[in-house]
Amino acid sequence: MTADDVDDVGTYPDYIVINKPVNQRPLRGDVVRYVGAPIAAVAATDRYAAEDAVEALAATLEIDELSPVMTVEQATSDEAPLLYPEWGDNKVVDLVGDRPEVRAALDAAPHRFTETYVVQRQTPLPMETRGVVAEYRDGRLSVWVSHQSPHIARTTYAMLLGLREADVRVVCPRVGGGFGGKTHVYSEEIVVAHLAMKLGRPVRWIEDRAEHLVASVHARDQRHVVDVGYDDEGHIHAMRCHVICDVGSGEVFMAGTCPSLVSGGVMTGSYDFPNLEVSTTCVVTNKTPAGAYRGFGAPEGVFVMERVIERVARLVGKDPNDVRAPMILQQSQMPYTMPGGGRIDSGSHQQTFERVIELGTEALQRVQARFEDDPKVRVGVGYTNYVEPCVPTYFATTGHWAGYDAATIRIEPDGGATVAVGVAEIGQGMVVTTRMLAADALGMNLDDVAVVMGDTDRAPYGLGAWGSRGAVVMAGSVVKAAEVVLDKARVIAAHKLEAAAADVVLEDGAFTVRGSPGGTAVTWAEVATAGVIRTIELPKGLEGGLDAAATYEPYALEHFPDESGRIHAAATWSNAAHAAVVAVDLRSGHISIEEYFVVHDCGTIIHPNVVEGQIVGGVAQGIAGAMYENLPYDPETGQPQFASFMEYLVPTMSEIPPVQTEHFESPAPEMPLGIKGVGEAGTIGPPAAITNAVCFALADYHLDITETPVTPMTIRAAIRGSKDRT
Amino acid sequence: MKPAVFDYVRPSSVQDAVSALASDPDAKVIAGGQSLVPLMNFRLASPTLLVDISRLDELDFIEVRDDKLCIGAGVRQREAERSVVAARSCALVAAALRWVGHPQIRNRGTVCGSLAHGDPSSELPAVAVATDAEFIVRNRTGERVIAARDFYLAPFWTALEEGDLLTEVRLPVDTPGIQSSVREYARRSGDFAIAGVAIRGTSGDGTPRASVGAFGVASAPVRMTATERLIESGDYSQSALDDAIATDVPSPTSDGQADGTYRLELLGELVILALADCGGRR
Repeated sequence: MTADDVDDVGTYPDYIVINKPVNQRPLRGDVVRYVGAPIAAVAATDRYAAEDAVEALAATLEIDELSPVMTVEQATSDEAPLLYPEWGDNKVVDLVGDRPEVRAALDAAPHRFTETYVVQRQTPLPMETRGVVAEYRDGRLSVWVSHQSPHIARTTYAMLLGLREADVRVVCPRVGGGFGGKTHVYSEEIVVAHLAMKLGRPVRWIEDRAEHLVASVHARDQRHVVDVGYDDEGHIHAMRCHVICDVGSGEVFMAGTCPSLVSGGVMTGSYDFPNLEVSTTCVVTNKTPAGAYRGFGAPEGVFVMERVIERVARLVGKDPNDVRAPMILQQSQMPYTMPGGGRIDSGSHQQTFERVIELGTEALQRVQARFEDDPKVRVGVGYTNYVEPCVPTYFATTGHWAGYDAATIRIEPDGGATVAVGVAEIGQGMVVTTRMLAADALGMNLDDVAVVMGDTDRAPYGLGAWGSRGAVVMAGSVVKAAEVVLDKARVIAAHKLEAAAADVVLEDGAFTVRGSPGGTAVTWAEVATAGVIRTIELPKGLEGGLDAAATYEPYALEHFPDESGRIHAAATWSNAAHAAVVAVDLRSGHISIEEYFVVHDCGTIIHPNVVEGQIVGGVAQGIAGAMYENLPYDPETGQPQFASFMEYLVPTMSEIPPVQTEHFESPAPEMPLGIKGVGEAGTIGPPAAITNAVCFALADYHLDITETPVTPMTIRAAIRGSKDRT
Repeated sequence: MKPAVFDYVRPSSVQDAVSALASDPDAKVIAGGQSLVPLMNFRLASPTLLVDISRLDELDFIEVRDDKLCIGAGVRQREAERSVVAARSCALVAAALRWVGHPQIRNRGTVCGSLAHGDPSSELPAVAVATDAEFIVRNRTGERVIAARDFYLAPFWTALEEGDLLTEVRLPVDTPGIQSSVREYARRSGDFAIAGVAIRGTSGDGTPRASVGAFGVASAPVRMTATERLIESGDYSQSALDDAIATDVPSPTSDGQADGTYRLELLGELVILALADCGGRR
C-alpha cells in the first residue's frame, strides 16, 4: 500500500492557527521529508515475509535526492531549499516579542552579555515501542493501541477514516510508558486501521526499536539566543530571549511546536523576574518531527535561565545562590503572574530553595572528603529552582481539544463501585491513584472500587495522560460524581434508618445517624442492593439506580493569548529545587553524580510512592538529557547517525544515582483537594543542576557550559583549552 | 527479531563443521551469537547457512599445553572468566573478560567468537595482540596457525577466509613476576570502550618490561610497541608518553562519541593507570 492507496483517507487537520499548514498525509507520496517517514506499508501473514517484501520494495523505489535542510542556520538562510515552498520560508511558527520596557531596562543596565544556549535533540523513548492491532467487524472498527489519549485517538481515526465515533472503539491496555511521545496520533495507526478495513481481517503492527528511533517523535532541539542586562551587585535587570526550535519536518499530529512556547513561558520559574521578552521561532528541517516529551519545553527554558544566573554570578564574583536569593518568589507574592502570563497560584519556592542548599552544602562536604586523596578528581555542587506547569490547556498544543475530563461512578448492587475515568494509565500509577481517591470519596475500602480507563466503549470521553494533569482532573470529576451518588445513598440509608437524610453520616463503610455511636448502621451493600435490585425498599417517589457522571475543567484556565501574547495556560504550578553533587575525573572527563536531591512541592500528595516514582524516573530522564542522549544527523546527507542503543546512549541503572527527595505541601487553592501535578517535575531540573555542578567543580578551568549534553569529551576539551591558554 | 531466511546445522564434529562451512560461501559460524544475531536481526548480515559449533565437546577445553593457555572455540566467556586454570596461567584473560558486555552476554558469548568477530572496540583481540597469541584455524583442507599480529586487518575483517573455523586460541602463559591489567573507559557500564588498554608487565628490581595492547582507538587492535620501548626506558614524562602513543596510534578513531584527540588523551591516562596496577610507577 502506497500513498495512492490511501486517497480515500483524510488529511490530518492543521488546527493551530498560528502554525503554517503541513497537510500531513498518512503515507507520503511526492516528497519524503525525513528518514523514517512512512511511504509504504506491506501486510503479510507473518513479520518475516513482510520484512522481506519491504526489502524488495525498497530496492525498486525510484528516488530523486533533494538537498536536505539539517540545521537552523540552513533553514533560515536566504538560499535555503524550502520544505513547503508555499510558505515562502522554513518557519512554521514565528512570534516576535515586543516589550519596549524590557529593551529600555536592558539599555539602562550597567553591563550586558549575549550568549547562545543549545539543548540537543532527544526522543521520549518509552520502554514499550508503539504498537497497533486493528479489526473491522460488523461495521465497527476496534483498535488496540499503545497510546496516551484513547479518546483523542478515536476522534482522529473516525475523522480520517470517515467513520462515526460510535463505530470506533479504541482500547489502550496497560501502556508501557509514553512520556509524551504517545500523545500523538501517528500515520501508522491510520494505515493499520485502513488495512484492517480493506482486508477484512485483523492487522497488527509492532514498531521495532530501530523504527522507533526515527519514526516516533523527537523533542527538545532548541537554541536560545539571550541578551542579558545586569549590574555589579548581580541583579539581573532584564533579558531578551529568542527561542529557536528545530521541529523537524513538522508532519505530526498534534504539532510539535508548543513546547518551545512553554520554554519561554516558564523559564523564569521560581523567580520574580518581570523584565523578560521572548520571541519564538520554530523552523522545519529534514529530520523526524519533534513533538511532546516529558517536561514539554520546561527543561530547556530552565537550563538557560540557570546558566544565565551562573554567568552573572561569575562575572560579578558572587555565589550563584546570592544572585538567586533576592529573586526567589515569596509566599506573600502569591498569586504571582509571570512575564508570559502564567499565574503561579501558590508554592513554597523559598522553602525548597533554602532546604536544598542545606542538603547540597552538607553533601558537598561529604563528597569532598570522599575524594580528598585524589588530586585528579574535582567536586562540585549545582542548584536549580523551577516551577512545573500543571493541568495546562491542550488548546495551545492541539488547536482543538482544551481541558475537559470526565468520570462516571456506578454503585454495583453488592456495594462496590465501578469508577470510569477519561484519564489514562501509562505506567504512572493512575489506576491506584484513582482507586484511592474514589474509595476515599465514597467511604469504601480500596478493594471495593474497580477502576476503568483506557477503553472508549467503557470510559467517558476524556483527554488521557499528559501535562501533569491526570490526578487533578480525575479528582475533580470523581469527587463531583461521588457527591451525587452519596447524596442519593444517604436518602436511601435515611429511609432504612428512619432518620432525616441530613442526619446520616458515612463512617467506616456504614451509614449511621449522626451522634448515635453504636446505634443501628446500614452498610453500603444494603443501600446498594436497595438502590439497584430491591427497589421495593426505596422511599416512595425515589427512582432506582445509584450512578452519576461528572466532568471537570479548571475554570480559570485561558485557552487564547491576549493581544500581547500573554496566556495563563496552566491551572496550577508545582515547584521544586534540585541539588546535584558531582565528582569530575580530570583524567577521563567522567562525571559521576555522587548525590542528588529534589525538594519538591506538588500540593496535596495522594499516593507517596507514586509521587516518589514520578520524581525519580523524571530525574533519570533529566540526567539522560544533561549527559547522555543525542540524535545527531549527517548535515550533508540527512542520514540519522543513530541506529540503535549503541549510539543513542540511554543511561541505565549503573549511571543513575540514588535520588533523595523531600516534600513540602502547598495545596493548590483552586484545585480539587489542593492537588497539583508531578508527572514532569523530575525531568526539568537535572540539565541545569548538573551543568552548574560541573562548572563549579571545574572552576579552575573556567568552564562555562552553554550546551547539553555535557560529555567527558566536552570536559577534556575544556581542560585542554584552559592549558592552551595558560 | 526478524532475520532473513537462513538454514541452520549443528554438526557433531569439527570435521563435519568445516565440511558444512565449505558447502556454502555465505555460511557463518555461530557459537554464542551475541554479535552475529543482532547483526542478522538488523539484516546487516544475511548468512544463508549457520553452522552451530556451540555443542562440540572437542572444542570445549581450557588447559595449559606447552606453556600456552589453550582455549577451545566452545568455551563461553563466563567460563574463561571464572576458570582457575586461566587465572593461574594468563591473568590478562579474566582481567579483560570482566569488561566484556554484561554477565548475561558473557554467559552466552564465547572467547573465540569475540576474537573471530574482530570488533576493534573489543577487549579480547587486544589481549591476543598484546600476548602474541596464536590462532588455530581449521578448514576442509587442513589446519594452520596465524599469529595474532597478523590476524586483524580492519574493522570486523580478519585473516580468516571462506570455509575457515577458528578452533582454538593459544596464549603464552604468565612468567613469574608478571602483573596484568586491563583498563578501559566507556560512557555506560558494559558498553564498548571509547579507549582501552591491556598490559602485561613485570616490574620488580630489574628492567621494567611490558606488553601493551590497545582497543577502541583504531581500526584494529594495536600492539603499542613505541609505548613498550618507552616503558622499558624506565624514564618517561607525560610528553614522551603522548609522543609514543601518537606513534603507536597514528590514525585514531573519531566518531560521534569521541574524537581522535580525546581518544588518545584517554588512552594515555589509561596506560598510566594500568601501569600503576602492574606495580609500575606513575
